[in-house]
Amino acid sequence: MRRSLMLAAMAVLAFPGLAAAQAPAPAGAAEWIGPFAILAAGFALAFAAGLCALGQGRAVASAVDAMARQPGAAARIQTAMIIGLALIESLAIYVLVVAMILLFVQPIG
Amino acid sequence: MNVIEHPPIFRLPDVPDHVTYTWLIMIGLTVVAFLATRRVALVPTGLQNFFEVVIEQFFQIIDDVLGPEGRRFLPLIATLGIFILVGNLLGLVPGMNGPTTNLNTTAACAVVVFLSYHWIGVRKQGALTYLKHFTGPVPLALKPLMFVIEIISHLARPLSLTLRLFGNMVGGHILLAIIFFLMGLDGLLGWALSGSAIGVVVGGIGGVVMMVFTIGFLYPLKILVSLLQAFIFVMLTMLYISGAVEESEHHAEHHADHH
Repeated sequence: MRRSLMLAAMAVLAFPGLAAAQAPAPAGAAEWIGPFAILAAGFALAFAAGLCALGQGRAVASAVDAMARQPGAAARIQTAMIIGLALIESLAIYVLVVAMILLFVQPIG
Repeated sequence: MNVIEHPPIFRLPDVPDHVTYTWLIMIGLTVVAFLATRRVALVPTGLQNFFEVVIEQFFQIIDDVLGPEGRRFLPLIATLGIFILVGNLLGLVPGMNGPTTNLNTTAACAVVVFLSYHWIGVRKQGALTYLKHFTGPVPLALKPLMFVIEIISHLARPLSLTLRLFGNMVGGHILLAIIFFLMGLDGLLGWALSGSAIGVVVGGIGGVVMMVFTIGFLYPLKILVSLLQAFIFVMLTMLYISGAVEESEHHAEHHADHH
């Protein structure tokens, strides 16, 4: 079981190298970086989006809880919640920017 | 991005698109502001009425965060807010280019915010007092450490302002372009027009679903995000200004509590 998993993982990880071997690479550049950059961008954004959703979910849950307890302070809580959500989301946005750099710019590739 | 999307319809030679559209917004807002204040009436009508509502909204959020003396900063805050909002929304108009989808525009806004809140803090408290508050209420031995940490956190502010606005706008733009153009128009409708029987059924239905999804859901979502990001930029600007202005009082209170 474990061996087959490991083989599968190795096959997945080896594939971009094979794909790159067929494409002509520019001189001096490591040819496997491009495909791995795409993989890294996808995985990074997946992790970032999932964890960001967890964090934002917690923030919204407690904000809604507070708003239900104190409807009078709902406007202030909502403002604070939106600012907090923006600060949490900006971390995921950093990963998005890094992913876009990996996809479109590829500084080391 | 440029491969998927049609370039904007109005371009100046040798000028980048985001600069062109920034100029366009500047001209547009100036003309609208001139028209709104040309004949200022006590009982406002039309354009003046609309802009009074907008400015009153700005006054309200300034009063909430900065207090009444923060109304001095209305020109900075409202200009940034209206410019960013119009820039965000212009990116959604087909054939136009939103200047906030370019990193240079958002960085310019963030640098303006960064310099002006420090300037406001220095003007209010004096350079030495302002610098002292970077160390925070900690024992003397920890002050150099705090100073370095605070400098880094202050330098991170324009970075995060820049990247938040830029990332949100460009992320939404890429999502819209991929779902509408790549998946909807190019992929599914192209399949429908390719002539195969399955393609006509699946591609036709899928293409229509994609378009309804884009226009009915993603577009309103992008409008909401545009409003929200402009609001957040303005809100964080005000929070930074209030941090620079009120730190001395906060500090004094802290000391009074302890002794």
